[in-house]
Amino acid sequence: MWKYLARRFTYMVFTVWVITVISFVLIQLPPGDFVTNIVSRMISSGGRELTPEYEAQLRALYGLDQPVYVQYYKWLRNIVLRGEFGWSFEYRRDAVEIITERMPMTASISFFSFLFVWIVALPIGIYSAVRQYSIGDYVFTFLGFIGLAVPSFLLALIFLYISQRFFGQAMIGLFSLEYADKPWSWAKVVDFLKHLWIPAIMIGLGGTAGLIRTMRANLLDELNKPYVETARSKGLPEFKLLLKYPVRHALNPFVSTIGWMLPSLVAGEVIVAIVLNLPTSGPVLYRALQQQDMYVAAGFILLLSVLTVIGTFISDVLLAILDPRIRLQ
Amino acid sequence: MSKSVTGAPRYAESEHVEIEIASQWRLMWWKFKRHRMAVVGGIIVLIYYLVALFAEFFAPVHFTTYKEEYVYAPPQTIHLFRNGKFDPYVFGYRFERDPASFKKIWYIDESVIIPIGLFQRGEPYKLWGIIPGNIHLIGPRNPEDPFYLMGADKSGRDIFSRIIYSSRVSLTVGLVGVAISLFLGILLGGLSGLLGGAVDNIIQRLTEILISIPTLPLWLALAAAVPLDWSPLQVYFMITIILSLIGWTGLGRVVRSKFLALREEEFILAATLDGVPLGRMIFRHMIPSFLSHIIASVTLSIPGMILGETALSYLGLGLRPPVVSWGVMLQETQKVAVIANYPWLLFPALAVIVVVLALNFLGDGLRDAADPYQAK
Amino acid sequence: MSDETLVEVQDLKIHFFTDEGVVRAVDGVNLTVQRGKTLSLVGESGCGKSVACRALLHIVHPPGRIVSGKILYHRRLDNGLSETVDIADMDPKGREIRDIRGKEIAMIFQEPMTSLSPMYTVGSQIMENILLHTNMSKKEARALTIELLAKVGIPKPERLVDEYPFRLSGGMRQRAMIAMALSGRPNLLIADEPTTALDVTTQANILDLMLELQKQYDMALLFITHDLGVVAEIADEVAVMYLGRIVEKADVDTIFNAPMHPYTQALLRSIPKIAMKREELDPIKGMVPSPYRRPGGCPFHPRCTKALPECSTIVPAITKLNENHLVECLLYEDLATRKAMERPS
Repeated sequence: MWKYLARRFTYMVFTVWVITVISFVLIQLPPGDFVTNIVSRMISSGGRELTPEYEAQLRALYGLDQPVYVQYYKWLRNIVLRGEFGWSFEYRRDAVEIITERMPMTASISFFSFLFVWIVALPIGIYSAVRQYSIGDYVFTFLGFIGLAVPSFLLALIFLYISQRFFGQAMIGLFSLEYADKPWSWAKVVDFLKHLWIPAIMIGLGGTAGLIRTMRANLLDELNKPYVETARSKGLPEFKLLLKYPVRHALNPFVSTIGWMLPSLVAGEVIVAIVLNLPTSGPVLYRALQQQDMYVAAGFILLLSVLTVIGTFISDVLLAILDPRIRLQ
Repeated sequence: MSKSVTGAPRYAESEHVEIEIASQWRLMWWKFKRHRMAVVGGIIVLIYYLVALFAEFFAPVHFTTYKEEYVYAPPQTIHLFRNGKFDPYVFGYRFERDPASFKKIWYIDESVIIPIGLFQRGEPYKLWGIIPGNIHLIGPRNPEDPFYLMGADKSGRDIFSRIIYSSRVSLTVGLVGVAISLFLGILLGGLSGLLGGAVDNIIQRLTEILISIPTLPLWLALAAAVPLDWSPLQVYFMITIILSLIGWTGLGRVVRSKFLALREEEFILAATLDGVPLGRMIFRHMIPSFLSHIIASVTLSIPGMILGETALSYLGLGLRPPVVSWGVMLQETQKVAVIANYPWLLFPALAVIVVVLALNFLGDGLRDAADPYQAK
Repeated sequence: MSDETLVEVQDLKIHFFTDEGVVRAVDGVNLTVQRGKTLSLVGESGCGKSVACRALLHIVHPPGRIVSGKILYHRRLDNGLSETVDIADMDPKGREIRDIRGKEIAMIFQEPMTSLSPMYTVGSQIMENILLHTNMSKKEARALTIELLAKVGIPKPERLVDEYPFRLSGGMRQRAMIAMALSGRPNLLIADEPTTALDVTTQANILDLMLELQKQYDMALLFITHDLGVVAEIADEVAVMYLGRIVEKADVDTIFNAPMHPYTQALLRSIPKIAMKREELDPIKGMVPSPYRRPGGCPFHPRCTKALPECSTIVPAITKLNENHLVECLLYEDLATRKAMERPS
């Protein structure tokens, strides 16, 4: 088991490293650099133009005259050693401050979506498999397809229309007005939870549909395995049998779905947050990309990716605990 | 593999019992036909692509045609019978000015009747920019009459026509994107599955990394880096490349697992022992045996591309006007007030949902059919 | 040991209702298992033997259903009396049948690789059966499990009890399965091709073990196989099954020395004998017909070398050749009487 976990851990570290490279490439992608950006901003705010000499001096100051790999090294070193992600022009402070302000919200919404997905998908998937081709199975299959076909942001748009039309106000944001700018308190947490379920469901719906299908397929495979027959021939009651054997087996591939579900949940969170204007990382990332505030954008993408990679690693650990075949390797 | 289908075997006199034989594709077709939702999905997809192909004919007007006087006109409903006879028509409009905001408030005017019909002469067009014509599938008998089946947008353009023209971009983004993904997927998945070892390991790690990055933020970031001064065509291809950059991983995995499984199959071993060269082995023996799976996977990955383009364009980071796509059209709904007052601007979303649903059903049916020998 | 009937299967029919049509997997089977004796059920793949033997535990997979027939189980009670219950009549999920499964009638399967769940230890899967059917504490059940594992010849049972099935060899796993089946001290052990997936030496060891334990526990054994070599070694009585029907039933010597049904004869001709000269083997011509296209009349007639013209229309009835020898074939039926009997109706 330790060997397996060690290997998964190595993969995780490697993946994180590649993601830092990708994030840095994103910073480099837009035409121009940090200094051209400053210059254009000064001009647009009515400032005077800088002399080419001064621009060169600035470049030297920020190390932009150095080769790209040196710049990458410095960027990474700052993140690791000082927790600095680079300067944001928009907010005039280090990107890390903006990111840490928003990240917890994103993480908690994603987490609640994840809970929602599991709590809903697991029993429905089991039901659909055990009662294969029943009316209930068909209904859930059909709803599942719709859940897959309607992406979260369209769902959010439709929700906006419905809430505006039937409740007279757009239900956006994560807090009621009276709590929005207040510091955290118990009442605010309750208020937050009251608002949370709407985006959580919207983000989770597609994943739920996918997971119901996965669970159904896995369980259908398991239901006809010989060990189920063995257990039945012992005289186990059907329900206990179902949970103890096939469901338990089908759970393993289910756990490993965390790996592919987390990225899509986070992606869904980002766009739903943009549509509903939630105070999470989505709108800030969006704005940063529109303004080409690349250090903020890259920081968000780096952290969002790292979060999902850690989530995947946790699912690997969970799998090792659940499945003796992996644990005893 | 024989293509013949023999009749019911006769036991009485014949010396040997005949076995029923059907080709793999025929078995798949039988299985596919039984999946009713998949057949319906297939027909809907076919209609979508036909409409996209002949958009000039199906759309009542061109997507740039505007009538200032009908800004934000609401959708009209088609009535089929008048005075007990079949005589389709729609009602006209009248408006009042809001005294405070001076905005037009639209009403359907039931005293104005606009007769409509199929194959009406209307706005002249050039099909695919070449063949001139002026017949439209549906339109008002008098081309000057307002005709807005799904309402009008902020410039008085017909949303129905725009949705039809948009399907060209939105549906082909999926196809081109999938073509690129397919190329990458077969190349890398095939290398991975065939060569194994270190190559497999590297490609597998790469796939894992790409899968673990949340797609949308990455797409957004890449799309945001597309220079503003690029031509619409350049942007279009850049977006499809961005979408397929991540999309290939799924196809790659399918190809790889198939190659891995096939390496163990006995008919491949038999072919190897017969000295069949590798290239012939891959194209003559291996690919045909999982072509059906590839087709199913491709169908299932088109919706993701369509949704990706829609999301990017909706956020203003993908395609930009004057290009129309469903996502570009949805950009107008970014403001809550617009959705509240002019909900018909959400019709493009319906177009997206229906085609994605249809593609999912189709792909699902194809995937089930791809395993004709597998019991259900 | 007295000849006492343990299980009597009467005209059992199990049909599968699929989209493509009805498959009559078991179509009027009669069987009798004597207490303490071994009955071997022989037939080609797909003849319905596995479906029939699972029915003795009332395990029938959908879309299959017991359409008609009785499975009478004669149970000895503690007070010395006996009672008869109909297993076919029980609720397949009910308490009554569950108390029989694993306790009075136990079963082992063909695939020792997959018949045990890889998620739980061997010991816990055996203990589960003990805890289900007795009032033992976990500790007692564990001790009994170790004892049983030792009895079926597993080395170091106190260590292997905590091992996972996938770390054992196929033969060891099948021994563990036997230990599990024994743990309820059953009256009848159903073994569905228990040695097919094993290599020859292991096969022989497992067969010896089963015969020895049968004596020790005084169990009846219903042994399903397609391997006539195994039958000769293990069976008291043999029933030959073809397309859902028992075509011939007799004691083991009669079957091997004086088979009467053309199918049994063909089966015996198709196996190689060590003493045989370099003759060619004589396989049965044709293939087992598709379950959806059952031939009319006698199901074997298209492949039968001795078929009469009537065979394609008349379903043969059971003919009693002597007290212990039953056969279903028109060759032994008095056709004239039959026609005379049928005419009035």
